[in-house]
Amino acid sequence: MSIEKSNRSFLSRPGVASVVTAFVGVVVLMFIFAYMNPNFIRPNNLMSLARSICPYLLVGIGQGIVCITGNIDLSIGSVLGMSAMISATLVCSGVNVILAIVIDLIACLSVGLCNGVLVGKFKLPPFIGTLGTMTICRGIAQLVNNNYNTGDIGTGGLKDLFRDLFYYGRVGYLYYGVIICLLVWLVFYYIMSYTATGRHIYAVGSNVDAARLSGVDVFKTTTIAYTISAFCSFMAGLITMAAAGMGSMQAGMSYEMYGVAAAVIGGISTLGGSGLLVGVIAGASVWAILQNGLTLANVPVAMRNIIIGVIVVACVLFDILRRSGIIGKKKTA
Amino acid sequence: MSEYVVSMEHITKTFPGVKALDDVHLHLQAGRVMALLGENGAGKSTLMKILSGVYTRDSGDITIFGKKIEGDLTTRQAQSLGVAIIHQELNMCQHLSVAANMFLGRELIKSGGRLDNAEMNRQAEEQLARLGIHDMDPEESVGNLTVGRQQMVEIARALLINARILIMDEPSSALSNAEITEMFRIVRELRAMGTAIVYISHRLQELHHIVDDVTIMRDGKYITEGRFEDFTMEQIIANMVGHEVKNQFPRETVPRGRKILEVKHLNAGRMVRDVSFDLYEGEVLGFSGLVGAGRTETMRAIFGADPKESGEMILDGKALDIHNPGSAIRQGIVLAPEDRKKEGLCTKLSIRDNIALPNLDIITLGSRTGRINRAAENAMIEKGKNALTIKMAGPEAEAGSLSGGNQQKVVVAKWLARESRVLIFDEPTRGIDVAAKVEIYEIINSLKKQGVGVIIVSSELPEVMGISDRIIVMCNGRVTGTVDPRSTTEEEIMTYATRFGDNAASA
Repeated sequence: MSIEKSNRSFLSRPGVASVVTAFVGVVVLMFIFAYMNPNFIRPNNLMSLARSICPYLLVGIGQGIVCITGNIDLSIGSVLGMSAMISATLVCSGVNVILAIVIDLIACLSVGLCNGVLVGKFKLPPFIGTLGTMTICRGIAQLVNNNYNTGDIGTGGLKDLFRDLFYYGRVGYLYYGVIICLLVWLVFYYIMSYTATGRHIYAVGSNVDAARLSGVDVFKTTTIAYTISAFCSFMAGLITMAAAGMGSMQAGMSYEMYGVAAAVIGGISTLGGSGLLVGVIAGASVWAILQNGLTLANVPVAMRNIIIGVIVVACVLFDILRRSGIIGKKKTA
Repeated sequence: MSEYVVSMEHITKTFPGVKALDDVHLHLQAGRVMALLGENGAGKSTLMKILSGVYTRDSGDITIFGKKIEGDLTTRQAQSLGVAIIHQELNMCQHLSVAANMFLGRELIKSGGRLDNAEMNRQAEEQLARLGIHDMDPEESVGNLTVGRQQMVEIARALLINARILIMDEPSSALSNAEITEMFRIVRELRAMGTAIVYISHRLQELHHIVDDVTIMRDGKYITEGRFEDFTMEQIIANMVGHEVKNQFPRETVPRGRKILEVKHLNAGRMVRDVSFDLYEGEVLGFSGLVGAGRTETMRAIFGADPKESGEMILDGKALDIHNPGSAIRQGIVLAPEDRKKEGLCTKLSIRDNIALPNLDIITLGSRTGRINRAAENAMIEKGKNALTIKMAGPEAEAGSLSGGNQQKVVVAKWLARESRVLIFDEPTRGIDVAAKVEIYEIINSLKKQGVGVIIVSSELPEVMGISDRIIVMCNGRVTGTVDPRSTTEEEIMTYATRFGDNAASA
């Protein structure tokens, strides 16, 4: 092992290779779909493609951060649905949009907090603990409007602003929703890469005992991760609600798994301790491009599901083979 | 009193149902290394956990730097007084960098909450340099370092928090000889800086290199303390086990019988190159070498745990066809692996399940539906228990709840049931106390007498020289020498073990 830091190649930094692979995957897919249907690379399609990435990116960030702590959050989809239903129900019943969002935010964050307490404090296996909150939150999403989807939230004033900001409005070729998502990503990227909190999140996932013995507050760190995840689901819920103009009880179904896919394709290990948030952008893109591209290529829904499933498994398999082949044997004296 | 940095007097600690510590004393002086000795379960770790604030004492006095501790000593308080502990199982975040590990939980922050990585790297390098380590990149992931280097990082971390009392719990158990030498050098550096060091180790032979004082414990009680040079090794052992151990390495000579196993030109990856050897009835064949010499890899290849590239193996005159551990077991070759907890046992399963696991073919014999024959299983467990004197609550107890020595016996018990022809032990006594070691040696001897071929891989030279009938030395994946332990010297073995020769090119 040498100490010459300048010799350390960019690719050999932990996690970088997976991220690069994921972005290469994005470019390759773009080429394939552009070849299959030239409409794919028309500005209009790319614009809406970017917007369709947003919900996947958000849940990918949340699930990714929870995965880095070595846990999993199954409640993501339900919290998304809850967020859409609570905000829509409140707005429909005449509550001010801002107040509705604040109430919604508090409700969603308290689920994250609850997950943190269950997993971090009472040591419930994360799979079980968040399975419970997942079911509870789906129930709440159904309960808030008495088991009905809400009606249209209507127009005028803040409601228009809300729809524009989260979905319909754009500046140039960029939808506002995309900008908001990138800002959210930037904040969490900063936290994960440059702050002690981020370092602790990695440490807890890497070796929870070592972290505890070094004075890291494991409970607090776990709770922060789950609360971030709940916040991301909350944002994704608002986007879904703005897009539909109403609250659907089905909103966010299976999104916890889309989050896992975005995180894992982006190179975040579900075993904890490693992965870079940059990768989630690629991971969410791969997911959205497949959906969008396969639709444009007139692939039937059933085939689409099969193809996407195969690609997800192939991505992870490739990553594992690469690790065991190269990085696995890299033990320097 | 004031000459002591730490004094612990009349310390008592009771866990539900067990009196873990009973009126124990401990004294540490600045700039001296004290060996805390005792068998597993003697209470050493409990005492150290009290000193570092992990456990609270029931009664007794603790004075650290002249300050009498009133009430419970907390982890935080212990740390602020300068107590640091280096655990036996290294506690590092493998994915994080060297500097990140050293500063974990006490990161340096710039304004705006940003981590000050540049400064942390600089200080990490500075601390490593204080220990005479100049070739470690603070940005390297800890997972890429060898165990020995990881330990250096832990020591440097202790320095970083100004530890003046350093507890080292079996620091040498996973290190190669070269790494141990390096660790000793660092311990001497620390001693020269005035650090008081508690050194816990089962490798009694290494103590004379660094130890100034000893404290001996047995069954949760304080036995004696004093200057190291005032004790003979026999006295230390007698105090630890409570009776005299006549012979640490009870080798019995059995007439050498016919050839059992023949390994010819075995190749498997970088660490196993052209390995050939024979194993005879009535002998224990030792494998010596530095850590990373390829001994474990050779055994894993023979056992079918790792793929082979080429080579021939002949057992009792018949060619073997081993492509996975299952086929090795069926053909009579078994392995007790290096890492008991990870590879040797299913720690969460009961002793019964562990012993039965590789023998289910025998236990279900005669049943068409593959039903487990409880009577056959019980007989097997009874046999193993009696042959090995496993101390246990009952066969339903969790394997992980046993002491290291008893865990190793369970590993052996599962193979005894099969009448195997060759038993391979990889580091059979790592982390096991003296009395249990002797018991393991006696098991090895009785296997030898029954005509079973025994191979033992050990990094402890006194052990491999004391128990084997013939020693094969490996270096860099190749066999570099065969020696007779009755006439060889440690120097001769080390010469072979460091014969890297011209095979670096083929690596």
